[in-house]
Amino acid sequence: MSQSRNGGNADAGAENPASDRFEEDVLALVPALRRYARSLVRSDPDGEDLLQDCVEKVLSRRAQWRGVNLRAWAFTIMTNLGRNRHRYLSMHPQVALEEDLGLEAENRESDPLERSKLERALNGLSSENRSVLMLVVIEGYRYQDVAEMMAIPIGTVMSRLSRARRQLAEAMKDDNVISMRRPK
Amino acid sequence: MTEDLNTVSEDDLHAYVDGFVTPRERERIEQWLESNPARAEEVRQWQAQAVDLRALFAGYAHSDTNDRALLSKSRNDLPQSDPDKGKRSATGRLRAIAAGLALFAAGALTGLYAPSLISADGGNQSIETADSLPRQAQSAFLVYASEVRHAVEVGADEQSHLATWLGKRLEHPLSIPDLSSLGFSLVGGRLLPVNGKAGAMFMYEDGTGRRLTVLLGRNDDNRETSFRIDSVDGVETFYWIDGPIGYAVTGEVPRSLLQQVADECYRQFDKSEAKGS
Repeated sequence: MSQSRNGGNADAGAENPASDRFEEDVLALVPALRRYARSLVRSDPDGEDLLQDCVEKVLSRRAQWRGVNLRAWAFTIMTNLGRNRHRYLSMHPQVALEEDLGLEAENRESDPLERSKLERALNGLSSENRSVLMLVVIEGYRYQDVAEMMAIPIGTVMSRLSRARRQLAEAMKDDNVISMRRPK
Repeated sequence: MTEDLNTVSEDDLHAYVDGFVTPRERERIEQWLESNPARAEEVRQWQAQAVDLRALFAGYAHSDTNDRALLSKSRNDLPQSDPDKGKRSATGRLRAIAAGLALFAAGALTGLYAPSLISADGGNQSIETADSLPRQAQSAFLVYASEVRHAVEVGADEQSHLATWLGKRLEHPLSIPDLSSLGFSLVGGRLLPVNGKAGAMFMYEDGTGRRLTVLLGRNDDNRETSFRIDSVDGVETFYWIDGPIGYAVTGEVPRSLLQQVADECYRQFDKSEAKGS
């Protein structure tokens, strides 16, 4: 019997069990990837965009995965995508608009002023320093893991971490943000 | 890290903040911090930072009802069609638009859309052309390397079509370099204006998503140069002119790696040249 062929996906059938497992594994990683994506960019839509780019890349490159530590591999891909995006956005002025949209869309419990100050401070970090800080502080990777994921010496991991922390502390200390007096 | 009980290194302090120390080390570091109040203050800031950062992003580590769609979307979407384009956030669309604009602007700056301005200079044209090649290559890299969906017009799955098509537009028989020995595979290519004429760009990518571009453009004054290097903000370009064609290899990778890529491209272009003539 001749089936409709306009689905276009018929060829996926043969290796379904294996690819399904792979996809389930990727799916399980999505929450962590979503958090890491958001920690690298300036707004929620940007984070979802980066997440989608990353998932796409992970699925399309599955043949290149060496079969160990899918999580670290996906995080490496995300790191590189984030860096490309950072470099691109730093050259194009629509960033300011994005940032505004993002902050407007968010509605969180923590003090929005503090929150936006921290985000602004983060946005001042280079993409490399920011990735290292996020991988260590938020994702809990050990220094050696980060070195392997980013293909850099561990000494570079340490100096990037150090720079990120110092720069962040410096930016948070800055009082050139007008402080609002709370009614009491 | 040293065994000296009295020395606490910068690395030790980070490891302390990040919880990568044994209880004994922790004790030693805490003792040291007591007598080093300035560093102790710094460590307190780092600890507070870590808490704030985790709080800032913790809420994002959730799954979403659309996550599964993310998977199937990706699968059906590749490599070129994108039926869900409308669902992309503003950034995606803006990026695609900005990519076109930026390239146009880059072209305008280097004289792509006003060749007469350059020609008016007469004798300076060849210098102008050679200088603008790396700049055009960098613009193309910056614009397209960050594109996920629209990085190339024709994907690697249609490699022979790509070579024929771009070779025809470039009026120069073309073989696409194979960089797999260096860990880079072909993503695809696109037609691009270079020096005001049809040029070709190939994009490569390694297993972790690092990208390189190889740009070819006509160079009608038919001379040769050795390899030259041009670097802007960490984006490195190796370029050379060989007869009627100028070549530029661009990437944000260590210079030594890019040089290997350039050598490999040169070797392969040279070989196909020899075969063709």
